[in-house]
Amino acid sequence: MIRIENVTKVYKTGTIRLTALNDISLHIGPGEFVAVMGPSGCGKSTLLNILGCLDRMSSGHYILNGQDVSTLGGNELARIRNKEIGFIFQSFNLLPRMTVLENVELPMVYAGVSARERRERALEALSKVDLSERIRHRPTEISGGQKQRVAIARAIVNNPSIILADEPTGNLDTKATEEIMKIIQKLNNEGATILMVTHEPDVARFSKRIIRMRDGCIIDDRPVQSRTIL
Amino acid sequence: MNLIENVKMALASIWANKMRSFLTMLGIIIGISSVIAVVSLGQGGQNTITGEFEKIGANSVIINVDSNNAESSDYITFEDVNQLKEKIEYIRYATPVIQISGWASTGTKTKAALVFGGSADLYQIENSDLLYGRYFNEIEYEEGKAVAVIDSSTAKRLFRMEDVTGMTLDVGPKTAQKSVTIVGVVKSEYDMFADMASDDYIPAVVYMPATTVSYIFSLEEVTSRVIVMADSKENVESAGNLAKILLENRHGNRGRDVYKAENMMKQLDQINTVLGIFTTFVAAVAAISLVVGGVGVMNIMLVSVTERTREIGIRKAIGARTGHIMIQFLTESVIISCIGGILGLIFGVAGAYGLGRIAGISPHVSPGTVIIAILFSSAVGIFFGIYPARKAANLDPIEALRYE
Repeated sequence: MIRIENVTKVYKTGTIRLTALNDISLHIGPGEFVAVMGPSGCGKSTLLNILGCLDRMSSGHYILNGQDVSTLGGNELARIRNKEIGFIFQSFNLLPRMTVLENVELPMVYAGVSARERRERALEALSKVDLSERIRHRPTEISGGQKQRVAIARAIVNNPSIILADEPTGNLDTKATEEIMKIIQKLNNEGATILMVTHEPDVARFSKRIIRMRDGCIIDDRPVQSRTIL
Repeated sequence: MNLIENVKMALASIWANKMRSFLTMLGIIIGISSVIAVVSLGQGGQNTITGEFEKIGANSVIINVDSNNAESSDYITFEDVNQLKEKIEYIRYATPVIQISGWASTGTKTKAALVFGGSADLYQIENSDLLYGRYFNEIEYEEGKAVAVIDSSTAKRLFRMEDVTGMTLDVGPKTAQKSVTIVGVVKSEYDMFADMASDDYIPAVVYMPATTVSYIFSLEEVTSRVIVMADSKENVESAGNLAKILLENRHGNRGRDVYKAENMMKQLDQINTVLGIFTTFVAAVAAISLVVGGVGVMNIMLVSVTERTREIGIRKAIGARTGHIMIQFLTESVIISCIGGILGLIFGVAGAYGLGRIAGISPHVSPGTVIIAILFSSAVGIFFGIYPARKAANLDPIEALRYE
């Protein structure tokens, strides 16, 4: 499903070269739930950006659903972000001037889905994250946990191949964290492939497989022994 | 992603920053409204002048005797005028024009008078509106009958009523006035001024057969000015030239160039050209403010792009292509400019009518002006919106997402 081979990412600022990813190879199969852990600066965000087609690698290959995306141009990458990838951010990243419903509809706007179908699918996605009220409110009028549920609905609305979550519970309290992780586990049980970056071991234990990184390399990759299931 | 959604999105964004959007539009509003006002007034002015000329007769030619090198035998006799009309088939009407100052009195009231003498064709050439009675006819002209036509404001001032047909008036030099019968009243050309100036300064206007004028004022039956009217616009030039030749033949003065034919249409063209250049010049000056307005749009769009960097990042992350972002911001700048253009159009038209009322010109707003105004303001929106829109579209999604 997702395969990266010998991926290296080097940042150049003037004469300074910073290697964020150093010859990483990784395979993630359908239905997996992977947590990526590591200290800050270890390259986990860079990995996420490359997997999410937001950033380009310096060398290596990235095969998504059998397609080599490392050679694609900007607009084709945008299409892949739109159809194949669902993003969940730590800071939610909802558009403040749009209603909850409109936020969830937005990826389908860029996919060229008709207004009626958009409405139906957005409502369906919102019901999957247990949010059927306050959908005509703006993001500023709902709680953090609700905001992240909106963001999840937005991420899944185009039925992506993989959901990429960057510290999805970083801004949430314990109760909201459990709510969100419950939804993510439910989506995973329904067949969604999930890759989640986190630095909290408690949160990582919700996943099925933990990858640890340090200095741009994968130092550990093993299944979760005592998984927390909500 | 279709147009309607783009427009809806742009309107939402403009509405979210009402004050700022309005101030940005103001530049466009001022630019468009001043151009519209100037052009409408200019065209209105041209129409007014054209109208005046056509009233006098676009088909008419004025033949003047050049007094600088004319001998007394060169002056045009009334018989010459009859011949012009008879011999030249293009000429439909011809009249001598004599203009002389005198006095007019009703017995109780005496006023300075401006006396015009002509043939019965004067009525056709002046194209005046007859309010009461009739104009003097050919027989009265031939025989030099003591009849006159006066204008309505003269009637009001001398008789305190308008319909004065059948009444008598004494007309002539101060010491030797002769009694004439008023046969008709025409609409006054100078009503506008009549309200403004005090009574005494406006002379009485009297139209009489040229023969009668000559008799009353003891003049020879000659004139230095003839107006002829051609049967159609195409024949105006030939009519003037033929009239000149005929007069030169009758007076045997060919080669001395005594008679000057002035085509009214030519004068009109000259005036319209000058007015057109003037209008274009003032409109061009006004259009500069439109450029300033456009720079204002660009400025605010750049601010908007910076402010919404994060939004752009989010949109790109969930699948917006470069073109989507570009169109989104371009739509916004075009809508700002277009709304500005439409408001400018409204204010411009209102301004043109307001100023027109003060200046006594009825402005002319042509559909062409309206369409050009709207298209031009859209063009300003596109031109000054492209740079900010490109800047937004080319933002790096990761950098944009990180932007606080």
